Amino acid sequence: MTTEPALIVENLSLALGRANLVDGVGFSVAPGEVLALVGESGCGKSVTAQAIMRLLAPVIRQTGGRVLLAGQDITALPERAMRALRGQAMSMIFQEPQAALDPLATVGTHIAEALRRPLRDVRDQVLQMLAEVGISDPARRIDQYPFELSGGMCQRVMIACALISRPAVLLADEPTTALDVTIQAQILDLLRRLAAERRTAVVLITHDMGVVADIADRVAVMYAGRIAETGPTAQIFARPRHPYTSLLLASIPRLTDAPKSALAVIEGRVPTPAEFGPGCRFASRCPLADDTCRAATPPLRDMGDGRLSACFHAEQLP
Amino acid sequence: MTAPVLEVTDLAVHFPGRTGAPVRAVDGVSFAVAPGETLGLVGESGCGKSTVSNAVVGLVPPTRGSLRVMGTEMAGATRATKHEIRARVQMVFQDPVTSLNPRMSVGAAVGEPLLVRGLASGAALRARVDELLEEVGLRPEHAQRYPHQFSGGQRQRIVIARALALRPDLLVCDEPVSALDVSVRAQILNLLVELQQRRGMASLFVSHDLAVVRHVCDRVAVMYLGRLVELAPRDALFAAPRHPYTRALLAAVPEPDPVAQRAKPRVPLAGEIPSPSNPPPGCTFHTRCPFATERCRQEVPSLRPLGESMVACHHAETLA
Repeated sequence: MTTEPALIVENLSLALGRANLVDGVGFSVAPGEVLALVGESGCGKSVTAQAIMRLLAPVIRQTGGRVLLAGQDITALPERAMRALRGQAMSMIFQEPQAALDPLATVGTHIAEALRRPLRDVRDQVLQMLAEVGISDPARRIDQYPFELSGGMCQRVMIACALISRPAVLLADEPTTALDVTIQAQILDLLRRLAAERRTAVVLITHDMGVVADIADRVAVMYAGRIAETGPTAQIFARPRHPYTSLLLASIPRLTDAPKSALAVIEGRVPTPAEFGPGCRFASRCPLADDTCRAATPPLRDMGDGRLSACFHAEQLP
Repeated sequence: MTAPVLEVTDLAVHFPGRTGAPVRAVDGVSFAVAPGETLGLVGESGCGKSTVSNAVVGLVPPTRGSLRVMGTEMAGATRATKHEIRARVQMVFQDPVTSLNPRMSVGAAVGEPLLVRGLASGAALRARVDELLEEVGLRPEHAQRYPHQFSGGQRQRIVIARALALRPDLLVCDEPVSALDVSVRAQILNLLVELQQRRGMASLFVSHDLAVVRHVCDRVAVMYLGRLVELAPRDALFAAPRHPYTRALLAAVPEPDPVAQRAKPRVPLAGEIPSPSNPPPGCTFHTRCPFATERCRQEVPSLRPLGESMVACHHAETLA
């Protein structure tokens, strides 16, 4: 794709006190593209999204890097200008839709607020948006409160809030994790359709490789605050170029493998930021690790097929 | 066939509802678990699967029906009988953080079931705790430590060791890996499969994750709105699901394989699960079922045999 990326994150680093939470993370997303940021708890994927929106907890500092929205560097924008962007040029949806909505505001009020207009002025537009996100009987739902809706419906409302102002970028932080599988399938279909129709660039944060396989065009795998590997979804799944990705994929039970067979295990646990050494952060759990890995940080290298891998031994993987 | 470890007959658990109508969390469920067998209980949130497992371990009283553990009836049993039976059935919960007392050392937690039942004390108890810890892949010196010193996966190992302490006949696992990260999940699943094989222990495995259920279970029961819609041997269920809900559920599982996942025919299930305090008449699934007819709206389908499976659908034959 030759279009200019809607969002570019360059060399982003975040710290909590002296602990280095995110170290040199970079990626870009084109209009209409879905990029999955995938990793296990604590890998830094959510905090990366918060940094892009500049919604970081005050104790977390950005120590490096920049964020470009449609080519414009927004890293140093004053808070007032950021407020003008949030919900307009870039929006975010969260994991717990019921917790993210105001219990005292109706569905219509939430969505009108995203347009920064009183509901009575934009009622028709809000009704149309509710229909677009698949809410049946919008005329009744528009005046209901979040407690009157199911989790799946609340997530649709949050998506309506996020997309009604036609943002260029949507950050979706585990948007289906709290939902049942049949509802998850509905929401993923909806996100995919809206991203394509509206040319929204989507950064989907998830820990679920099934969700990634379903919806992402490209994947960035994160481990302990760094990107382990990025590339087109099909290639990442077919032939991982980082031992972490490869083990992660092998550890998932699938509907197609032999029941009760031993699943691949990643020994040990994710190091805490205090335990980060000078080398590759996966080295302590990696079957391919050697002295080089423990001594130096592997840079993200171009694998020549649209992929980058941060592994010294990427070529050794089958 | 050998006598079942657990036999559940027409179990119903109703809770008082806010509006007066009872919440029919479980509404007439029957199944059995044979010795050495792992039965999976799957369904979406609110289908009643956790209530079934809570009733089996005696955490909620049944409104109706019978629960037999090793042939002994639980409903209406005396305190002494219940106390005996509870030793035979142990439970592993979803969140290992909240199911361990932060102020009890691991050794004390794992040894407590033995201690309270007077089965071991002193050096014998310590030796038994060491054995249990080793059995779940921990080390004897871990007994001195406290839960906060362990990762999520290790804590679930501790919970499992505690559940094994009394050598139960039935292990009830309620979403035992749902709170764990993917790589840790594999460790715990491998441990559970190993324990099944080594101990020949029966288990009831409750989960919303079909791939996980397929991985560890021998037979699978699918619940929807308080009832079983299908009960079948694992391979039959996954190869040829008979109930339209089972099919939709299987189709909705996103598989970690982009080629297969994107080629998969979508069976979108419209709408949402109805309220268990006001379940629809007839087949409770008819409001979302693409094959529903007038008969489904009026007549409750009973769970009946079809091939290797049991299915509660009026039209199961014509769907095959």
